[in-house]
Amino acid sequence: MITLTLKEPPSVPLEAEVLSPDVTAELSNDAIRALPVYLGKRQRRVDDFFDVDGASSDQITIHGDASRVKWIGRAMTRGRIRVDGNAGMHLGAYMSGGAIDVSGNASDWVGAEMSGGAIRIGGNAGGQIGAAYRGSNTGMRDGTILVGGGAGLEVGMRMKRGIIAIGGPVRDFAGLQMKGGTIVLGSGAELRTGAWMMRGTIISLRQLPLMPTFLYAATYVPGFLRIYSAYLERLGFTLPCSEQQGAYQRYTGDTSVPGKGEILIWAPRGA
Amino acid sequence: MRASRVIITAASEAWARTAATSMTGFATSVIGCKVEAGIEAVLAAAETPDGRPGASVLVFAFKAEGLATRLVERVGQTVLTCPTTACFDGLPDAADRVQVGSVLRHFGDKLQSSKFLDGRRYWRVPVMEGEFLVEEAFGTQPAIGGGNLLILAKDQAAALAAAEASVDAMRQVRGVILPFPSGIVRAGSKVGAKRYKNMTASTNEAYCPTVRRRLGVASELPEAVNSVLEIVVDGVDRQAIEDAMRVGLDAACRPGVVQISAGNYGGKLGKHLFKLHDLLN
Amino acid sequence: MLRITGGKVYDPANGIDGVIKDIYIDGGRIVAPADEGPGAEARGAKAARAIDARGMLVFPGGVDVHTHVAGGALNFARGLVPENQRAARKFLHTKDRRAGLGGMTPTTFATGYLYAGMGWTTVNEAAVPVLTAKHTHEELHDTPIVDKSALLLMANNEMVLDLLEAGEVERARHVVAWHIWAAKVYGVKAVNPGGVAAWKWGKNANALHETFEGYSTLTPAKIIADLAHIVDQLQLPHPLHLHCNNLGVPGNVATTVETMKVLEGRRAHLAHLQFHAYGGDGWSNMRSEAAAVADAFNRHTNLTCDAGAVLFGDAVTITADGPWQHLLYQLTGRKWGNLDVENETGCGIVPYVYKDRSLVNAVQWAVGLELMLLITDPWRVFLTTDHPNGGCFWRYPEIVQLLMDVEFRKEQVRRLPEAAQQRIVLGDLDRQYSLFEIAIITSAGPARALGMSNKGHLGVGADADVAIYPEQPDKDGFLFSYPRYVLKGGEIVVEEGDVIGGSEGREFIVRPEYDAAIEAYIRPLFQQAYTISFDNYPVELERLRHPEQVNLPSTPA
Repeated sequence: MITLTLKEPPSVPLEAEVLSPDVTAELSNDAIRALPVYLGKRQRRVDDFFDVDGASSDQITIHGDASRVKWIGRAMTRGRIRVDGNAGMHLGAYMSGGAIDVSGNASDWVGAEMSGGAIRIGGNAGGQIGAAYRGSNTGMRDGTILVGGGAGLEVGMRMKRGIIAIGGPVRDFAGLQMKGGTIVLGSGAELRTGAWMMRGTIISLRQLPLMPTFLYAATYVPGFLRIYSAYLERLGFTLPCSEQQGAYQRYTGDTSVPGKGEILIWAPRGA
Repeated sequence: MRASRVIITAASEAWARTAATSMTGFATSVIGCKVEAGIEAVLAAAETPDGRPGASVLVFAFKAEGLATRLVERVGQTVLTCPTTACFDGLPDAADRVQVGSVLRHFGDKLQSSKFLDGRRYWRVPVMEGEFLVEEAFGTQPAIGGGNLLILAKDQAAALAAAEASVDAMRQVRGVILPFPSGIVRAGSKVGAKRYKNMTASTNEAYCPTVRRRLGVASELPEAVNSVLEIVVDGVDRQAIEDAMRVGLDAACRPGVVQISAGNYGGKLGKHLFKLHDLLN
Repeated sequence: MLRITGGKVYDPANGIDGVIKDIYIDGGRIVAPADEGPGAEARGAKAARAIDARGMLVFPGGVDVHTHVAGGALNFARGLVPENQRAARKFLHTKDRRAGLGGMTPTTFATGYLYAGMGWTTVNEAAVPVLTAKHTHEELHDTPIVDKSALLLMANNEMVLDLLEAGEVERARHVVAWHIWAAKVYGVKAVNPGGVAAWKWGKNANALHETFEGYSTLTPAKIIADLAHIVDQLQLPHPLHLHCNNLGVPGNVATTVETMKVLEGRRAHLAHLQFHAYGGDGWSNMRSEAAAVADAFNRHTNLTCDAGAVLFGDAVTITADGPWQHLLYQLTGRKWGNLDVENETGCGIVPYVYKDRSLVNAVQWAVGLELMLLITDPWRVFLTTDHPNGGCFWRYPEIVQLLMDVEFRKEQVRRLPEAAQQRIVLGDLDRQYSLFEIAIITSAGPARALGMSNKGHLGVGADADVAIYPEQPDKDGFLFSYPRYVLKGGEIVVEEGDVIGGSEGREFIVRPEYDAAIEAYIRPLFQQAYTISFDNYPVELERLRHPEQVNLPSTPA
């Protein structure tokens, strides 16, 4: 286990893609301390900002308010990172394996363009979760992202596969230009959910405003949801799927594209 | 011989059984039916991928391509058509896969969609009742067909009672099916024919009581035997067949049963030999 | 005083073909040898530094006669492809170097470093609209090391076209001259004459001798002839620089050859000729007609051209040829950006990938090389890729390799799809360029065509822009990729393969003669049609930090 304790939050953002299990797996303590991080445009050392314990491990724990520390877990393929505190932008971007757990909040671009692995955020996250970077055709290609709190804009933008589940409220443009995969909105979302959606599934456990280009189809409990419910239950996220409790209203869209996606809105029985 | 396992779930056990029974009909022998299939077990809701009551079906065929075609035919005609069912792969760890859902999806006439989760793809075919969920690919593995028991009894009633008891016991074993109607074969066969040309199989005269003294018949039957019934068992591996045959052998030891044997076929039908005495040890 | 000793010098303008001789530099220029002539002892005493160039090749610094590196269109392109910027080579700032991004649309500082890093020291920005010229000058200023010139887009300027249709060529000449000085540029560019004006109506100008949307008698041929005439009358150092009609279209060989006829009796430079040398009549039977184009070109000795060669890989097409870019967008179905520049011109941006499996792209790749091999006079055909349209300028060394090594070239041809090999002649061409000829097409020739008498050679009085290469390529196998030394204006800017900063280059501009009264003609038309105030339109000379005005025979005192 490698433990990094932030001495104090940096004055400007710190670019710290070196904080990844792939990098630290074979390094000595001295080598980890000497890894380069960028404070703005200046190159510095990890131990200018962190106390470093441990060596040669793909298990990393970070203590402290790292909300200005960017790129933690970038492109990681293995191992585990635990952040006991907050994390900065681009957490787990491009990752393809391993796991990241953040007890506090995260910022924008969590899991951007990831292709595997799992990220869990206890608190809130920012926008562009699992999304494509600007100009890029495709966002998340696989993997699982769970956020206990709320999230910002463009969650799952241009994602192709994988699953994002957000417990708290989500802002505009969730599932923008979605190509596939699944987004679960535990507390609904604000405006323009599913805009330009091509394929994929957005599941909302609360009613949410829909664009006029999403057309109501039917109310039922889709069979596949039970599979997803079992999967998410194992991760501590509850997705109702029993006919006794209610059913889902299916909306087809985004017909303006025209897309073959769907928004499923939970309608509890008796409500 | 290759096998696949198909898990059928439905809104109730009854509907799962209905689909499974229909799917495994006319599947007694690969020779005449192209496939051998049967219900392996009824599954509790907690045991199935979607948490609903279900049944697992085993399907056996000579080659993987044949198996694929049969699965598509049978799931397409009997499971897809049955209300409330969903259909999942029961051999997810098998390296060899055959395409089932990816063929059946075309029934959706391009209105179908798929979901991919945790390494498995599921097709959602829009149907009148709602959606039919079927997994894209099913695992196949090498398997063994034609394990058998021959129950030699004093009379038909005794043979039947013993065979029924045997079948009840064998049905509790996982990994096996008994492809014949109710698991029992009244007309066991031998390979080819002696007196006709061009026959694949003919009556197993060595065990037919009424022709015991005919010229040219080398009977295997002890004097006291007047009726013989056969139980055929297919299994996913040797262990499963041995387990089934052991409990079947035991359950068949009833009054009126003179001897319990097993067909050898001179070693012509396959490399696996199950010696009954070995099962007793 | 700086001496380059023992190198093998290639100076085609002065007839030097691989002669081992010393080069003397002082005050930013090539000077006579220290041990000859008056004051020799004094000069010898001042010889502060010697560069040991034994075992190396000494070339005049490269001159890129047609590239797109600065200004509104470039910046629009940079914004359209952020994914390219993420993948681009990163230049981190150092004590001597500013930060930048390489890739297909390099940022300004990176552009200077990439050119200099290859041994190129002069760059001609091929397309500037007056309306956004201030932006171009800002970006050119921020392009370090290299000297620059820029060409003004005139062939779709409606004020000019209206005059040409009315037969008022004389007045048009004053208008053009006024615009050249207003924009503070070096020459005139014509892109798809008439076509970009027609594009404002969603149309194009595909027929040289037919009129186009918005006009009733004016033809592209007349625009070409009249503009060439005007440029000659103004005695600009560089002739009319022409991007012909029907760029990229199968069968456009006819337009190109006809254009050459229209230009008879005039000077002209045909831009990126590769895109204009196709046969067939559709994408399915498109083939190379480089032989026909080269043949016509060889006979028309009044013309120069640049290759506009294509390299397989990613590119970003940036051109004023709006209608062509819309067509390309429809072919690719990916991104497209289109800009309208009020009364002057337009711009289209389409990211594109040249694939060696594509029959069309394979033909394009071959045509550029075929032209350079079939055009007999290296003084009239110059090495370019129409950066970033055909490929990135920092891949020029790959083209040099293909020209110099016939076995390597034929091997690349054999890798093309069989069907493509049937449509080109490249596999049958055995010509190999010598280093002398390479020095012509990358430096001496373009410098002469641009009318820059102090560039492209190493004779006494020339600007001390020198590129020194190892005789054998060391890193990725391309000669020219990693010069050992590059000097710009006598200053060492690249040493041992490292760009070590360097000063800001100069911008060459001209002030052609025009009647001041023409402003009274332009102003009311301008105010009526443009969105900005006329007084804000011209570029103030003070905006250029290092202008170098080149005197014309007619330049007013």
